Amino acid sequence: MQDILDKLNRVRGVGGSLVISPDGLPMITALRQGTDETATSATLGNLLGAAQRLGEQLGLGGTKSLQTIASAGGLLILPAGPAFLAILMDPTANLALLQLEARPFAERLAQRLSL
Amino acid sequence: MESEYERLRKKVENYPSASAYNRLAELARLNADDGEAERVCQRCIKEFPRNGQAYVILGEISLSRGRKDNALAQLLNAVERDARSYAGHRMLAEVYAAEQQFAKSLHHLRQILVFKPGDAQVTAKIDEMTAKAGNSPAPAPARKPSTNTFRGNTGNMSAVAITPGGVPILTAKAASAPGSRTASLQALCSENGVRGAVVADNQGRVVVAQGAVDQQADLLAALAADLTAAASETLTALGHNQLASWIIEFDKGQILAFRRDAVLTLAILADTGVRAALLELRARQVLIDLGVA
Repeated sequence: MQDILDKLNRVRGVGGSLVISPDGLPMITALRQGTDETATSATLGNLLGAAQRLGEQLGLGGTKSLQTIASAGGLLILPAGPAFLAILMDPTANLALLQLEARPFAERLAQRLSL
Repeated sequence: MESEYERLRKKVENYPSASAYNRLAELARLNADDGEAERVCQRCIKEFPRNGQAYVILGEISLSRGRKDNALAQLLNAVERDARSYAGHRMLAEVYAAEQQFAKSLHHLRQILVFKPGDAQVTAKIDEMTAKAGNSPAPAPARKPSTNTFRGNTGNMSAVAITPGGVPILTAKAASAPGSRTASLQALCSENGVRGAVVADNQGRVVVAQGAVDQQADLLAALAADLTAAASETLTALGHNQLASWIIEFDKGQILAFRRDAVLTLAILADTGVRAALLELRARQVLIDLGVA
């Protein structure tokens, strides 16, 4: 599955990626050198928890995608079977294109994780 | 001029950069080709969405065509993306002054002094606007606090509280007041597929709510603030700061949230499939309106 993340990281605008469990434990990571994967996964788990609470309490169901945009980059999270694929975006990322390109990667990961 | 234009056009094709696009658009304008300038700016915005100067040029083009509303929207976009846009603030000040909206004009002139203190032209303009504002009917003092404690969302228009961040809390009732600063929120909620929206402060308290979320406003505000905090924490861990927006798509709808000045979050509850880009424009206007005194 590492090869899937490595390929994903070659997509324009992707600055790293990782697969985490719903409670924020890192499963596979392909992050830039110097990024603390444990801390990143933990905060991502916290974020996913907040999203899940939002969906449940407002009766909106499960999370299909989550994206955050900051001044110097962003984050895109997609479900990948029992886990979540988190993609770190560079400021140059074309968000719409990245969403289209990322989904097949999430689907491939979901297939592998379900085996 | 033609050769310089061609040289720059090739440069943009091979080594695109925001500054090259801006220069190319300006040259197109000098060649009296506003259509081409507009196309260059649109392309620039697509590739470099945070480039404020492209919006300034689009604002100039709209002004030259007499489309003031459109120009205003473009210029507000420019200063939203680049708070230090001298040209953006100057033009906004001029547009508002022409509309006799001196308070707004002064607001943008003063923004310039934040990053360019002592600018003689701007200081002179501020004196001129202050004199004019003094001769015109005084606008309601929107930031004047009647209390420093939160009163919830059941009061009336006269009950304006101030959050710790200095942002006035309007009431839900205020949202229906015609001509109030929440008019743009009403416009946002009238968009197809938008169920409702709430503006929350960082403590998860409702600043103003509109639409079908009235019954759930407190819950949505609290959860939105919670998610904003989690998203900010995550982005900080990744070395990014200044969370601008977050969007979550659920099975039965989506929530889109936009931030202003790290103080307010506007959370929109919408049907699945509603286009975020369209709502973002409306949302930014809501946040600007709430922040303007």
